[in-house]
Amino acid sequence: MHLMKMEFYPLLLLEVLMSKIDLNNISHTYNPNDPEPTYALNPFSMTWENGKRYAILGPSGCGKTTMLNIVSGLVRPSAGSILFDDKDVTDLKTEDRNIAQVFQFPVIYNTMTVFENLAFPLLCRDFEKEKINERVNSVAETLNLQSFLKSPARKLTADQKQLISLGRGLVREDVAAVLMDEPLTVIDPDLKFRLRRKLKEINEEFKTTLVYVTHDQNEAMTFADNIIVMSDGEVVQAGTPKELFERPNTTFVGYFIGSPAMNLFETEASSNDCVKINGTLIKTNTNLSKLKNKKIKLGIRSEFINLAEDQKDNLLSVEVDKVEDLGNYKLLTAKMGELTIKSKITRETEVPSSDVKLHIPADKCCVYENEILI
Amino acid sequence: MGKLYKFLKYFFITFWAVFVVAPFLWALTTSFKDFNSVNGGATYIPWVDFEPKLEGWRVLIKSPANGGVDIIEPYFNSLFVTCTASLISIVLGTLSAYALSRFTFKAGFVKNNDITFFFISQRIMPPIVLSIPFFLFLGAINLLDSLIGLIVVYIVLLMPIAVWIMVDFFNKVPREIDETALIDGCNPYQAFFKVVLPNSIPGLIVAGMFCIIFGWIDFFFAFILTFTEVQLLPVKIVALNSSITPWWSLSASALVSVAPLIIVAFIVERYLSKGNLSGAIK
Repeated sequence: MHLMKMEFYPLLLLEVLMSKIDLNNISHTYNPNDPEPTYALNPFSMTWENGKRYAILGPSGCGKTTMLNIVSGLVRPSAGSILFDDKDVTDLKTEDRNIAQVFQFPVIYNTMTVFENLAFPLLCRDFEKEKINERVNSVAETLNLQSFLKSPARKLTADQKQLISLGRGLVREDVAAVLMDEPLTVIDPDLKFRLRRKLKEINEEFKTTLVYVTHDQNEAMTFADNIIVMSDGEVVQAGTPKELFERPNTTFVGYFIGSPAMNLFETEASSNDCVKINGTLIKTNTNLSKLKNKKIKLGIRSEFINLAEDQKDNLLSVEVDKVEDLGNYKLLTAKMGELTIKSKITRETEVPSSDVKLHIPADKCCVYENEILI
Repeated sequence: MGKLYKFLKYFFITFWAVFVVAPFLWALTTSFKDFNSVNGGATYIPWVDFEPKLEGWRVLIKSPANGGVDIIEPYFNSLFVTCTASLISIVLGTLSAYALSRFTFKAGFVKNNDITFFFISQRIMPPIVLSIPFFLFLGAINLLDSLIGLIVVYIVLLMPIAVWIMVDFFNKVPREIDETALIDGCNPYQAFFKVVLPNSIPGLIVAGMFCIIFGWIDFFFAFILTFTEVQLLPVKIVALNSSITPWWSLSASALVSVAPLIIVAFIVERYLSKGNLSGAIK
């Protein structure tokens, strides 16, 4: 009989090691036994896609760090569940989750050399020696630490130490996400810029999910694909930098993101799509029929306000207060009675010294009721 | 100004050094004297002022049968009791201190700080208060006049010191170190032994030094809780005294008894000067 010898070739799978992270209805309080607990984190749900860069942005004490600690398992959420690739890890211990976390201040193992520091996460997981050498050397190369590998970690400068912390996060290939809690605070501005770019490169090359906590909107805007804005334990808005910039969900986001902050005018709806600002009708693209005679706010970015050229509608007659040349643009501050309007204009624009007309594009107007976008 | 400052600085350092070293010099010369030289007034230079004799030192190692005092056995008793008690205190103290620093305990109104204070409060009362309870307690379990009994008592005395120093030390070690170790894949025990403990060696050395000093110099409990079977060095040295004070052998035994502490001081000083004790974190 003819025996057929079968050989199974393992499929050359390009293994996707990183995972998608789902946060379902997560909330957290630090005093759960209180009859009226105060929430450090109000219930929210979110999905972090594999290989993307996220920034969590918000003022100090808004729950950013709590959110990170929940993902890494240092804090167990009071309610809700966390899924890594649809696997529930809510009760999984930190050491069993594949998460790397970098803290605000460099955390290094003082008694070890730089090499041992970088190798530590692999040693804890019983990797083979050659594999460890290979990974550590490649990470050290990425972070420019090769020449320090043999020196004691405690002898390095603060920013080199932070690079080590970062390196310990990147040394594992299978890490689900690298969480960074304001990691560049201790690093000086020039290096900060380079490191941020490096992080971006690392993300693009290795497709590591990066989550970056910061209170600096510029850092968030330049770094992330997606920004999660938080305030007082609440996720206010999550979206691309463009979305956050053009359509802020709340006046807080409008205020917090962008420099200068969004122009906000208190007003009332005067018709189905018009609001009245200091007696002038401004048309918006929002349906205001249900908001007649209610207090609302009109928000518009200073980037979208320009000196009127040949437009007929949506013009505000204002008095020029001052014009500041900020290098790559001019910032025009204008007065309209009590109102102050800021407009970013190009450097080349000549501003008449007295009265001017400003054009407010209807499609860029955001209308807020009770501070929330309609 | 600078010169005057420098002069004053060295003047005071020299003065203080003389002040500290002089008693040792006195003890050293006295240990080589005999009865006549001791009573012949204050003399310091051997062969010129007096004829050096080795009698004071010989007595220490001769057995009592030959008219000696034999401090060798008490010496090793003291070493054994001090080292064992210090070691056990450091191990137990470090573990409790880590727990008190990192985990939250609550039993009614008793919280972490109260437990820490309970440890320290063991050292607040005067030792004499503890003498009768210890005596009765050791008597009840048949450990009076034994090395084990002394070790038990010394652990009670030394562990508060270890807990106190180590709680303070661990509180200064940022939690992020533990958390990073967990994130890097250690379990809590590995995090403690592989990361936190090696980082805490300076604290351990300080705590160990204090335990050894306090254990070594204790006379009171060694005196009360032992009789004939077991003797510790301080008790033995005091027992040297008789109607005619043997200044020579007293001096020699005093020098021998401070020797271990001087060695400890040199080791710790070397460690201190390497800068390892400062800036352990960040």
